[in-house]
Amino acid sequence: MVIQQDSNRQLIQQRLNLFRFPVLLIFFILAARLWQLQIINGAEYERRAEENRIRTMQLVAPRGTISDRNRIPLVENRPSFNMLLYREAMKDQDATVEFLTTRLGIDAETIEAQLRRSKSAGLYRPILIKEDADMEAIAIVEAHRRDHPEIQIGPEPRRLYHYGRLAAHLLGYVGEVSEQDLAANNFPGATPGTLVGRTGVERIYNQVLMGTDGERQVLVDSRGREVGIVEEIDSIIGGEVSLTIDLDLQSVAEAALQDRVGAIVAMDPRNGEILVMASSPSFDPNAFSARISSDTWNALISDPDHPMQNRTIQNSYPPGSIFKLIMAETGLGEGLLDGDPQVYCSGASVYYGRTFHCHDKKGHGSLRLEQAIAKSCNIFFYELGKKLGISAIAEHAQALGLGTRTGIDLPGERSGIMPSPEWKMQTRRGKWYAGETISVSIGQGAVSTTPLQLLRAISAIVTGGRLVTPHVLLWAEKKTELEWPVVTVPVSEDSARRIREGMRLSTVSGTSRNAAVPGVEICGKTGTVQVIGNEKKAMARGKTGDHSWFVGFAQKDNPEIAVAVFVEHGGTGGVAAAPLAREIFRTYYDKQKPAILTRNRLSDTAGVPSLQGSND
Amino acid sequence: MIKLDQRLIFGFDWLWFLALLALSAAGVVVIWSTTDATSLNSYFGRQIIYLCCGLLVFLILLNFDYHLFSDFISIIYLAGIAVLGLVLVIGRSIHANKSWIDIGLFSFQPSELVKIIAVIALAKYYAEYDRDYLGLRELMVGGLIVFFPAFMVVLQGDLGTAVTFFPIYATLSCLAGIKRKHIAVLLIVVAAAAPITWFTLRGYQRGRIETVFNPERDPHRLGYQTIQSEIAIGSGRIVGKGFKQGSQGNLGFLPARHTDFVFSVLSEEKGFVGSISILGLFLFIAYRLFRTAREAKDKLGTMIVVGVAALLLFHVLINVGMAEGLLPIAGIPLPFVSAGGSSLISYYAAMSLCMGIRMRRYVN
Repeated sequence: MVIQQDSNRQLIQQRLNLFRFPVLLIFFILAARLWQLQIINGAEYERRAEENRIRTMQLVAPRGTISDRNRIPLVENRPSFNMLLYREAMKDQDATVEFLTTRLGIDAETIEAQLRRSKSAGLYRPILIKEDADMEAIAIVEAHRRDHPEIQIGPEPRRLYHYGRLAAHLLGYVGEVSEQDLAANNFPGATPGTLVGRTGVERIYNQVLMGTDGERQVLVDSRGREVGIVEEIDSIIGGEVSLTIDLDLQSVAEAALQDRVGAIVAMDPRNGEILVMASSPSFDPNAFSARISSDTWNALISDPDHPMQNRTIQNSYPPGSIFKLIMAETGLGEGLLDGDPQVYCSGASVYYGRTFHCHDKKGHGSLRLEQAIAKSCNIFFYELGKKLGISAIAEHAQALGLGTRTGIDLPGERSGIMPSPEWKMQTRRGKWYAGETISVSIGQGAVSTTPLQLLRAISAIVTGGRLVTPHVLLWAEKKTELEWPVVTVPVSEDSARRIREGMRLSTVSGTSRNAAVPGVEICGKTGTVQVIGNEKKAMARGKTGDHSWFVGFAQKDNPEIAVAVFVEHGGTGGVAAAPLAREIFRTYYDKQKPAILTRNRLSDTAGVPSLQGSND
Repeated sequence: MIKLDQRLIFGFDWLWFLALLALSAAGVVVIWSTTDATSLNSYFGRQIIYLCCGLLVFLILLNFDYHLFSDFISIIYLAGIAVLGLVLVIGRSIHANKSWIDIGLFSFQPSELVKIIAVIALAKYYAEYDRDYLGLRELMVGGLIVFFPAFMVVLQGDLGTAVTFFPIYATLSCLAGIKRKHIAVLLIVVAAAAPITWFTLRGYQRGRIETVFNPERDPHRLGYQTIQSEIAIGSGRIVGKGFKQGSQGNLGFLPARHTDFVFSVLSEEKGFVGSISILGLFLFIAYRLFRTAREAKDKLGTMIVVGVAALLLFHVLINVGMAEGLLPIAGIPLPFVSAGGSSLISYYAAMSLCMGIRMRRYVN
């Protein structure tokens, strides 16, 4: 085959050789032109490149507004100015450093360290010398524009939390995006230096809140002075997020907590909208809107009261007597309270060889379920717990969401613990003792819940089984799909009604009297959690006071607001927790009366009225 | 996988392969240098992935005899046409062009691959014709084979890419033998088509051509890019401004600095030393292709290598010529150097094809 084509092939070889010349010519021309541009005229082009300076300045987009359920803004932005150093315009580093240290009081070491660190970052990226510069510093820089064109002022909007510490845990704060977050693309659209939400709503709804940065290109001369604007792309502000929080109720709750360590959370039990989420002590997220100083940060982190923790969802505590409501639901559901049995309380009872006391040493006498709830009688629920057994209790409590996260749209939620024999075997490698069931019956022992979890479980009981998904988002720009699933738990209407009656009785004549508001059918239940046994109290140092709980709702037959109050080491629940809830209920119902209550800002909210003694 | 003949392995041309790697590495470095500080951040990482894909394709295709492709060329060709048609329907628009197709995670520009298919198709058609000169009929059928896909690319709005089909046809026709009178006929056709083309060009395309003859005509719009590119190259002088130090590239004077104007950025940062080295590498590859064409086992092999060489050198000419201000601005990538996967992977495929032809030159 090859031989047959021989003559043709030779012709092709000849023609192939003809291609050599044009190819070499092309390369010669391209190379000659390079010689002309780079060698012959190189100096001229270098001069033109020097004159040719466009400086690109980032126009940082403001983050979106966060507002309450009535669209009153809680978080917006304020203008601020950064001091930037453009190294390519710096003629004499020593002169620049001297100017910065003598006139602007910036540490020479810091600047030189920054200059060293930024060597590899590319000459045309400005260095941030001072964040959120004050007016005096800006005036000095502006006055020396001609001598020091390398130092420039760049605007950057900063987060402004109008109400400071109010709802700080819920709102969260912002910070510069970390390299890990960038690498994992946790915040699509963020570039190095972008401020992103670190916790709370700022983090969860960061993609809505984050805007799109713009850019301004200015033409500068060889000395770095601005000559004109080439192009300007405006930044686009982030989307608005409206929360389910009610600012008035939130203010009242924060004021009620005062200096106490604790939490208040209020929710619409019908749909899971969070009306109040207060945790104390709190912090000021404004401190984070510039890059936070390490002193402030260390103070926040090392504070023994952990002000950064959102106690409504990030801490879990034994529910104490509030758990009796879950016991009541379990007893009713399992048919053990059919026929309305009475239990006699003598003040103490013996189970499995150990004496368990009621908080009322004199005893409550004969009690039915409603009275037992109202008086918070331990003996009644010890008896009930003994009959039910731990498995039935755990099953009902877990169905009501104990031991699992509520699924609220906030980061860092804890799941709490609802113990059962299986749980004990898995985590502690031990057998379940019958005596533990007795402790669990009054919410002591290993049971632990977050205030929100407990509020959600009790809400589910009193609404006849509506286990809602608590949430703080009412609506958000650019976000259309909002689903907050409601699970139906088998709680019979009769169980719900009887527990509501018991809780009503508690505010009328029982332990929750301090939560009562005239004219409103408030129902409640108090709880007091023994932190440490009485006999050890004397020996122990530090905080040993009982934790205080209150969980309640209104109105009795139409639950529309449910409130949980928790005070760490507050003492008796009826004294320390119930009055705080009363303030929430009062404000909620006052607001429904036309034009009575104007907005409470932090400063003018009335303090909590004097507390009355009460039994738990 | 097909077991390789000993002679195949000895035929592997390491210097040629290293030249390809050197060009790709230069591209990766320039992309790193110009896109690190901007939001184009991920171009660098993606280019490395594309390079790995390209090398993989190169090694896989090496195992197949080129006759396998030419035997099934009609099917491959029709598939290529079908994909181009698909792009017309569902293609993704980048700037004014509608020539990209989304394949799951990344988008691909099929026209890059279709060029190589067109080379094989035309090479096979001409190789099977064993007279000394092509007849008019062969010239016309050959033209149809090349210009039908080119026309579809024009429909996508990508004139620059469509133009690159022309050297395939011109070079292979010359190689297969073209009579003087036929050259005259073709020239008349081109001469007649030129004014028509001129008036069907879009405004910006016409402006780009006019600008070549007088870049200062409109220094702030069309001439702007040409002048900035010349300043970039010129100001690099002998050794360049250094990695990441190019002001023209990094301050946004050059549009598409990681793709179309990658040569300008390279020349600015690496100087004459760098830019002439890039040209040298291309010249070396051209030499290896030329040698392979001469030594190829059969006419088909020679034709394929010459077609690929024409394609490659045309790209280099247009891209570098544009950067140096000698030719109109066209969105044509510099082979192996510019950012982008379609071009890189397609060129590695084409080089693999040619290397395979070289390796099989004694094998029957």
